[in-house]
Amino acid sequence: MTEQPATFEAAMSRLEQIVSELETGKHSLEEALRMFEEGIVLGQRCREFLDRADVRVRTLVDASDGSLVEGARFDAGDDAPPGGDEDRDERA
Amino acid sequence: MSSYGERVFAVSEVNTLARELIEGEFATVAILGEVSNLREHSSGHVYFKLKDARAQLSAVCFRGDARLVDFELEDGMQLVARGRLTVYEAQGQYQLVARSLEPAGRGDLERAFRLLVAKLQAEGLFDESRKRSLPVFPRGVAVVTSPTGAAIRDILSTLRRRFPCVAVLFVPVQVQGDAAPGQIVRALDALSARDDVDVVIVGRGGGSVEDLWAFNDEEVARAIRRCAHPVISAVGHESDVTIADFVADVRAATPTMAAEIAVPVLADVVARIARMERSLATGARDRVELAGRRVASLLRSYALGQVRGRIEQSMQRVDHAADRLVRGAHMLLRDRATLLDAASARLGGLSPREVLRRGYSVCVDPATGRLVASEAGAVGAGRVHITFQDGAVSATVEGAVRAQGGKA
Repeated sequence: MTEQPATFEAAMSRLEQIVSELETGKHSLEEALRMFEEGIVLGQRCREFLDRADVRVRTLVDASDGSLVEGARFDAGDDAPPGGDEDRDERA
Repeated sequence: MSSYGERVFAVSEVNTLARELIEGEFATVAILGEVSNLREHSSGHVYFKLKDARAQLSAVCFRGDARLVDFELEDGMQLVARGRLTVYEAQGQYQLVARSLEPAGRGDLERAFRLLVAKLQAEGLFDESRKRSLPVFPRGVAVVTSPTGAAIRDILSTLRRRFPCVAVLFVPVQVQGDAAPGQIVRALDALSARDDVDVVIVGRGGGSVEDLWAFNDEEVARAIRRCAHPVISAVGHESDVTIADFVADVRAATPTMAAEIAVPVLADVVARIARMERSLATGARDRVELAGRRVASLLRSYALGQVRGRIEQSMQRVDHAADRLVRGAHMLLRDRATLLDAASARLGGLSPREVLRRGYSVCVDPATGRLVASEAGAVGAGRVHITFQDGAVSATVEGAVRAQGGKA
């Protein structure tokens, strides 16, 4: 089987490409079926990308060297008052 | 200069006279001073004094005008008040009736804004050709804004609602005050180095011109331009336009809209995938059908058995392909009741051998090699070849059969 696209965007555009090629009807039966199978795997893979339950939020804070390091978890829930004093636990 | 000589005025008379003189002389005046004794009356009128080192002046801003003030008035702030001078006759006090208030220096800010716009425009920083397009399906959305404002909450809730499979990298920064531009610049530069970011939203909620000023900073503008990822600006409300908006790849009117621009709607994407899966099934089925028709045509052409081996091979290929199609589809989608399943199941019936084995026959116009699928087609062809599971016959079409009772 062909190499799997690494990103959702790549999987989607490969899938689109296969669909439009398949619609031309120009391929041999074997090719068409191989493309069909690849397309089905891609569709499945795209769905898996989308299946993530919830937005993952990571907070990044300035690490004095110009890069960003993971900071304390940010809670934007309505129950929690916005923390003006978000205690940044800086892990390098 | 008038002189009123020996004339004796009533108090009210002289106050009226004074009011008329003052109003005539100071119909429009702009006064710079420090605010003190600020008092917002429940009526909505705002009373205060303007003072400098040596003197003070009473001032009032009536409700209708006070409502239009777009910043927080505070004692101690330097203000330019524009309006007219008048006399409050009952008290014999003269005062300023302010029609508009602005923080001192705002005029300077506006000038600075215009100069910077012209400069950056001349450098081409706002050129349409430099605007990058946004990713259609971002994996990582970076958000550079305040941890305490409404903007981050609006953005996160919009992302959750539309496209919950996205990862958010939130970089909290100050968005107003002297430290803000530097923090925003560092955040944008640091994000440039990361490959888990596909698009950056930078902005804040609404505020006064002064509150939004960090987004009119030259260094912030340059950092947006050199950011490795496309940037969506989202500063203030609809009507607020900052230099960050000019230089960003896409300007969003509000933080919520920035999130809407950044990601698609999940349901739309899922529907699109389902559509493509259907097209796949249809495309594959059409291809198998075509192969089936070729086999039928072969059966007809080589009915004399000249190349029986090849025919059988073709039939096997079609059967094999249809089997693979069905097996493959079922294996992959076993747990999903998708339209695809239905489409794939139909494919099972498309193997010509299966079709023929079930007692159906295939009717072909020998002149064109095309399948005859209608009464009109058969009558038009005149002569047809009919293929059964064990062979084919040639037949002459006598005419349409009038079914008894006809169709319902």
